[in-house]
Amino acid sequence: MSPSVTTQETVVRPPGLQLIINGQICRLDTGSSVAPTTTLASLLREHFALTGLKIPCDQGACGACTVIMDGKAVLSCMVLAVEAHGHEILTIEGLPSDDCIVKAFAEQSEPGYGTALQCGFCTPGFVMTARALLDRVPSPTVSEIKEALSGNICRCGCYAGIVQAVLHASEIMAKASAR
Amino acid sequence: MKPPYTPRVQRSYVGAYRPRIDGIEKASGRAKYAGDLMLKCRVPGLLYAKVLRSPFPHARIRGLDMSQASQLRGVADVLTFEDPDVAGLKSTNAGWTDGVDTLSYERMMWRRFRDRRVLGSHARWVGDEVGAVVAAESEEIAEEALRLIKVDWELLPFVLDPVDAMAPGAPILHPELGDTNVLPEDTVGGADVFVDKGDIDQGLADADVVLHATTTYHNATQNSLDNWNCLIEWSRDHITVWSNSYEAHQTRMHISEMLDVPLNSVRVVSPYVGGQFGRGDTGDQPFFLFTALLAKRTGRPVWFRHSRRESFHDGRQHVCYEGTIGAKNDGTITALSFNSIGNVGAYADHSMFAIKFAPVEATEVAFAHIPNVRFEGRGVYTNKMPACMMRGVGNSQLNLILGRLVDGLGEELNIDPLDLACKNFGHEWEQLPNKSLVTVLRTGAARISWKEKRHSAGEGPTLDGVKRRGVGFSFHPGWHAEWQELRRGEVHVTMTVNADCSITLDAPTVETGTGSNTCNVLGCAEALSFLGIGSGDIHWISTVDTDASPQDCVQTDSSVSFLQSEVMAAASKEVKAKLLERIAPLLEAAPAELDIDAGFVYRRDAAGCRRSVKELLHEASLDPITVAVSRRPLGARTGIPFIDVRRCGGQHRHWPGAGPSARCGQRLRDCHVRVRCRSPADRRSVHCVG
Repeated sequence: MSPSVTTQETVVRPPGLQLIINGQICRLDTGSSVAPTTTLASLLREHFALTGLKIPCDQGACGACTVIMDGKAVLSCMVLAVEAHGHEILTIEGLPSDDCIVKAFAEQSEPGYGTALQCGFCTPGFVMTARALLDRVPSPTVSEIKEALSGNICRCGCYAGIVQAVLHASEIMAKASAR
Repeated sequence: MKPPYTPRVQRSYVGAYRPRIDGIEKASGRAKYAGDLMLKCRVPGLLYAKVLRSPFPHARIRGLDMSQASQLRGVADVLTFEDPDVAGLKSTNAGWTDGVDTLSYERMMWRRFRDRRVLGSHARWVGDEVGAVVAAESEEIAEEALRLIKVDWELLPFVLDPVDAMAPGAPILHPELGDTNVLPEDTVGGADVFVDKGDIDQGLADADVVLHATTTYHNATQNSLDNWNCLIEWSRDHITVWSNSYEAHQTRMHISEMLDVPLNSVRVVSPYVGGQFGRGDTGDQPFFLFTALLAKRTGRPVWFRHSRRESFHDGRQHVCYEGTIGAKNDGTITALSFNSIGNVGAYADHSMFAIKFAPVEATEVAFAHIPNVRFEGRGVYTNKMPACMMRGVGNSQLNLILGRLVDGLGEELNIDPLDLACKNFGHEWEQLPNKSLVTVLRTGAARISWKEKRHSAGEGPTLDGVKRRGVGFSFHPGWHAEWQELRRGEVHVTMTVNADCSITLDAPTVETGTGSNTCNVLGCAEALSFLGIGSGDIHWISTVDTDASPQDCVQTDSSVSFLQSEVMAAASKEVKAKLLERIAPLLEAAPAELDIDAGFVYRRDAAGCRRSVKELLHEASLDPITVAVSRRPLGARTGIPFIDVRRCGGQHRHWPGAGPSARCGQRLRDCHVRVRCRSPADRRSVHCVG
C-alpha cells in the first residue's frame, strides 16, 4: 500500500479491508494505511496497478474510471475505498480476452459513423459502462445506449461510433446465445 | 443512408475503412499512457510536486515564509523563486515552436516575447505558477504544504479587457518588455498591418453595399482527458523525462537549453497520449524545469501533473474582430477588411500565431480573388489566463467574423450565402468558382437540407420553449501540403525486415489519437506489398524515446500521415534493393536480374521460376535488414489539392453567442472524418481528427 494519503494526523488503519477484484479475494494487510479520503479508483490504480481505468476528473464528471461493483457500473472516483469493503469489483482487466464489447470497440470503423475511439483514454470507461448495460439489457435500443453512456465523456468526439460499437456487441451476443 | 465510400484508385490497404491498429490495446485498457507508468508501486521513491498558484489577478510576492511548509512531515524539498537554482534561469516563452520544428532558445519563434519566468514573483493571472514548488511523499501532503506557505502579497491593479489594457494609465503587465500592454511587432507574424492588397478604400468606394460587423470569440479549452504530466529522474547528470507532451525532441531541446545540460544527457519518453488538441503547442512549459530541478535536488524521481482544474488553464484565445465588407449588387466582393485585437492574457505564448497565421493562410486559399484585402491585428496583455493554440489555430475566430459578414451581405442583397461563398472564395491557383469549395458546400448543403431548413434570423423554430436552431456552414478551406511543412526539416522512418519477413516500423510520432499510426502501418503495407505481407505483419513502435528514436514528427497540421508515407515509399525501394542483394547469391544471379512480387522472387528473364522471399531469407543470413531514410518535405508547390469530404455537413450545432441563422458548420480539420486529398502530382490520404 502506498504511504499515507493525508497528513499524519488523519491516517486511519481499517483492519482487514477486503475486496473481490476480478474474481480474486484481495486483502490489504493490517500494516497498510488507507485514508478515509482514498477513493476506490486510486486504490485500484495505485495499489493494484489496474491502470485500465483512468482518473481524468476525480469528481464523477467524465466516466473514465467506471468499474462494475456488484454488477452495477459505478464511478470509482466517487466510491471510497472503505465503502468497497466486502464488495465485488470488476475492472476492465477482468473482462475475458475475447470480450465482445472490447472487440466491437476495437474493430469499429464504418462510413458515416467512424471509429469508437481515437486517443483511447476514455475507452475503458465506456466499455465497462456498456458491459453493465448489456448484462442488464442484452438488446438495447439506441436511445437506451445513449442514456446509459450519458455519464461518459469522449473528448475526441467518437460518440456515433461508440453507439454503433455497443449495438454491434449486442448483435454478437445475440448470435452467440442463439447458437 | 449515406453513399458508400468509393476510392478513386483501388489499392490494397490505402483508401478503405479499416480498424485502428491500436484498437484492441486501447479498448482492453492495456495501452499505457504516461500516467500509468507513474505509480508509487512501480517507481520506488516517487515524489509528487505541486506548485503555488496566485489567487490574485495581479500581485507581487514580497516574501515567503516557508518554515511551516518545509517542516511538514512528508515534504522532501521546497524550491522558491529566491533560490539560485531558479532565479538564475533565463526568461522564456512557453511557445518555442508550433510543433513543426525543433527550436533552440536563441531561435525560438517568439523571442520578442520572452515574458515568462520559471517560478517568478510577479503573478499576472489567477492561477499563475509563482513563488514556490513543493516535492512531497504524496500529492495531498504537497497540497497541504502549499497551504502552509505564508505569502506576503503586494496586490496590484489589474485589467481584464484588452481595449482597457491599451488605454493610457492601464496597469502594465510586463514592464520588463516595455511601457505598453500591446505586444511589439514580431518577426514571425509580421507588422501590425500584415496583409494589405490592392486599395481597400477604393474597394469600399466601388461597392454598392458596405457592411460592418464585430465579433468577440469566447475562450475554449483543449481539455484533453489525459491531464498534462511529467515524471523526471535526474541521475548522474542524466535526465529522463516521461511525459504526455507530444513533441519529444522539442521537449528535450527545451530542457537542455534551459538547464544547460547537453542534449544527449536528456532522454524524453512519450508513450500514448490521451488527446492533445493543440495543448502541446505550448509544450515548453516551466513545469518541466522546476520538476527536473526538484529531481536533481532530491535525487529522487518527481512527478508533476495538472489537476482537472489546472488542465483548463490553456485554450483558444479571445479575439475581438472588427470587419468590413463591400460588394456589388450581384454579390461580387470588392473589399474585405479585418482589424483584430487578441486578448493574449498574461503571457503571449502562441497568441500572435493565431491572430496572424490563419488570416494570412485564408488570404491565399480563400480570399485570393478579392482585389482589395486588408488585415490588421495586435495582441494585448491582460490579467487573464494565457491562451494559445487549439485545433485550427486562429481559424474559428476568423470564421466567426467572416460568417457574420457574408451572412449579413446575403440578407442585404437577398442572395444565398452559399452562392456568395462559391462566387467569391477560392484558391490563388484556381479560377472561380473553386471546384473543391463548390463540391464541398453543395454536397454538405444537400445533406443538411440547407434549402429546406434555412431561415432568416429570428424566424426559425423554437424547441423546448427556449432553444433556437439554425443551419449553417463554414468555408475555411484550410489545408497543408508538403511545401508548408518545410520547417520540419527531415522526416525520419526506419524499416526493419526481420528474418521471418515480419516488419518493425519506426515512424516516430507521439500517438495522440489522430490515427496516423494506423495510416503509417497501412501505408507501409502498401509500400511493401511486394513482400506479400499484410498490415498485421507490421509492428509499429508506439513509444517515442529520444535515446532510441530518430526525431519525431509532431502531430500538427494533419500532416504526419502523408509526410511519413512519402518517406516510407522511398524506404521501401531501398528495402527491395537490399533484399535482392541478400538473396541474389542464393539464386546465383545478379540483383539486377531479379525482382520481387507478392512475396516471391523471380528472375526477370524467366517467368514462372519463383521462390518465396521468406524461405530465401531463412536460407540467407538471419541478420535483419534495416533501412533508415530521412527526407525533407518537397519544397515545390505541387498544385491544388482536391478535397473530397465524405462526412462533413451531417451535423449542425448552434454557434454559442450567435443568432439562429448564424454560420455554424465544422471546419474540415475539426470534423473527425477521413478525407482524401489529391493533388495533380500525387495522392495522399490524411486522417483528420481533433
